[in-house]
Amino acid sequence: MDSGEIFFEHDRWGKNLAWSAALHAGFTLFVVIYAWIAGSGHGTNWGAGGGGSAMGVTLVANIPLPANPAETKSVLATESKGLSQSKPQEKTEEPDAVPIPEKNVKVKPKPPQPTATQRKPQPQPVEQAQNQIPYGEGGQVSNHYSMFSAAGATGGIAVSGGGGDFGSRYAWYVQAMTRKVSENWLKYEVDPRIQSANRVYITFDIDRTGRPSHIQVEQSSNVPSLDTSAVRALQRIDTFGPLPSDYAGNHVSVEYWFDYKR
Amino acid sequence: MNRVLEGNKLRIALMISTVLMMALPSAAQDWIKTGTGLGVERIRIAVPDFKASSQDPRNSDLLRMFNETLWNDLNNAGIFELVSKSFYPLGQVGAPADVKFESWSAPPPNSAMLVFGNLAASGNNVTVQGWLDDVKNTANPQVLAKQYTDVANNQQVRLIAHKFADEIIFRLGGGINGIAETQIYFVHGATGHKEIWGMDYDGANQHPITTLGTISLSPHISPDGSRLAFSSFNGSSWEIRMFSFDLNRLVSFPRFGGTNTSPSWSPDGTKLAFSSSRSGDSEIYIVDQSGGNLHRLTNSRGPDVSPSWNRKLGSELAWVSGRTGLPRIYTMGTDGTNVQEMIEQGYGVSPAWSPNGQFLVFSWMRHYGAGAPGSEDIYIMDVASKQWVQLTHDGGRNDFPSWSPDGRHIVFQSNRSGSLQIWTMLADGSNQKPLTTSGNNSEPDWSWK
Repeated sequence: MDSGEIFFEHDRWGKNLAWSAALHAGFTLFVVIYAWIAGSGHGTNWGAGGGGSAMGVTLVANIPLPANPAETKSVLATESKGLSQSKPQEKTEEPDAVPIPEKNVKVKPKPPQPTATQRKPQPQPVEQAQNQIPYGEGGQVSNHYSMFSAAGATGGIAVSGGGGDFGSRYAWYVQAMTRKVSENWLKYEVDPRIQSANRVYITFDIDRTGRPSHIQVEQSSNVPSLDTSAVRALQRIDTFGPLPSDYAGNHVSVEYWFDYKR
Repeated sequence: MNRVLEGNKLRIALMISTVLMMALPSAAQDWIKTGTGLGVERIRIAVPDFKASSQDPRNSDLLRMFNETLWNDLNNAGIFELVSKSFYPLGQVGAPADVKFESWSAPPPNSAMLVFGNLAASGNNVTVQGWLDDVKNTANPQVLAKQYTDVANNQQVRLIAHKFADEIIFRLGGGINGIAETQIYFVHGATGHKEIWGMDYDGANQHPITTLGTISLSPHISPDGSRLAFSSFNGSSWEIRMFSFDLNRLVSFPRFGGTNTSPSWSPDGTKLAFSSSRSGDSEIYIVDQSGGNLHRLTNSRGPDVSPSWNRKLGSELAWVSGRTGLPRIYTMGTDGTNVQEMIEQGYGVSPAWSPNGQFLVFSWMRHYGAGAPGSEDIYIMDVASKQWVQLTHDGGRNDFPSWSPDGRHIVFQSNRSGSLQIWTMLADGSNQKPLTTSGNNSEPDWSWK
């Protein structure tokens, strides 16, 4: 009898298996039919817009290329002074404005004035680029080779007194020297938090072989990393090239300034 | 004291308009005041064709060669902006008396410098006179005056043009010698084997140096230019070979066993670094230039190859190591200490140290692996800060960069044109152009001077 029960169980299990197979087949059939019905409307326009969302593509990560050092300049290309010249306003003095001296005011002693040798050149704010002709000045079409201009600034060699005519005579050498220092100045050595700083003045000598020596900070910018980067720029340079052979002196002293602006 | 006061007044006045170059007189020296933050601009230079100063019929041919070479040399220098010839005033300039400064310094040429001169063939010889004038400095215009005499043929005239160009570049380029007389050595493969060839820096005068009938790779010229070290297959193994330009033949160099490749000279020319697998794994070794005193620097799993000496200090090596899997660039002292990983991703090979010791140039697949674009490009890295700049873009596979001695140019191999050729560019990635066009040319090495 026990064996009969076992047989009965086997029979019921087989029935379930049949149900299962039937349901699977039915479900598969349903999927196929649904796909056929639902997909029949798509046709060939699968690539057309709508329905999907475009994938956002981010182009290559930023490559930290150094910025182009050359500044865009706008120099007037004629010798004329421009069409519209503004004249300075004439000063009108008020004839009766005479200050009345107050009574019983103690005269304060003036603090001692610094002598000329004590006075240091104070750093000046860098002028912003101005692509306009200032009053009374025509745009210079071609600077002297010893001069340079950029970002509203103009530089040049001024000779005072006799004897020291190196700058005017060998302007090409000064220019080559300026370029070489600029090339060797790595701005990324400056503290990245600094946006702009005072001008730093460096002095050094160039001997006859063109080697810079006695490199010193004449006036600090108060930003140590800027001072260091300026000194390093000069330390990196082995030679500026021998001094011109017809130059009589045995060395040249140079004051070089660095303006930093991020 | 008065002078100092006057100088200071002037200085303040100048600073206000940011005019800050002046010269104060002092006992026996000159003071120059100058500054930066002004951008590095190229010098505008006018180079009118030289003038024939004799009636010899060969003049026109020689002049064509001379003018073309001089123009190209100055154009390639990377520091000049050559004024287009269509802007030049009429009339030939053959001597200082012919120069009208205003017509050159004013627009349209608006030139800062003028190169001019004359050429005359007579008998067997040719004489070239050349001047360089600062046309904006009418008081003292002359910067350079040179005269050259040599045999009257195209090759010598080309050499004279190179020499004159180098003199100009030396004067105006801040004391850095021009590269017009330098050589580039490379591997030329055309007929089943690979030989070492040489050529001028501009791709002219390509000629074979070795004729071994086997495969020779990785040529490296010694700093004095007298010897060429390379790696050659001798039928069973790769050995370092040495070619002497003084003797014009191969000279003996010891065999170390295993695979010995990529020799690199120390800047004083007394030592060679190379990679050898004599102990099983490829490791970096240093040996005297004669082949003696071999000692090993690296000792790690994975290959260590392609050493390159710091050309300024001589106490550092950059090389390629596979110690972490993919090949990467590392640096170390020449005693094997102070190992630093220079790139932390991708596949980087072929490091070469710049002449000033400041930069490494190398070939890098920055993104390497499945799905990566797989382009191999030339990069420059500032060694101190590890900042890098990509120099080649979208141009096939670029490899084996080598610096020119002036540090302004880089030569490399690229397959961008379809076949492997030697290319050159300025060190900022501009002015890329091929030097070779036929056969397969690879692994360039620029001479040290």
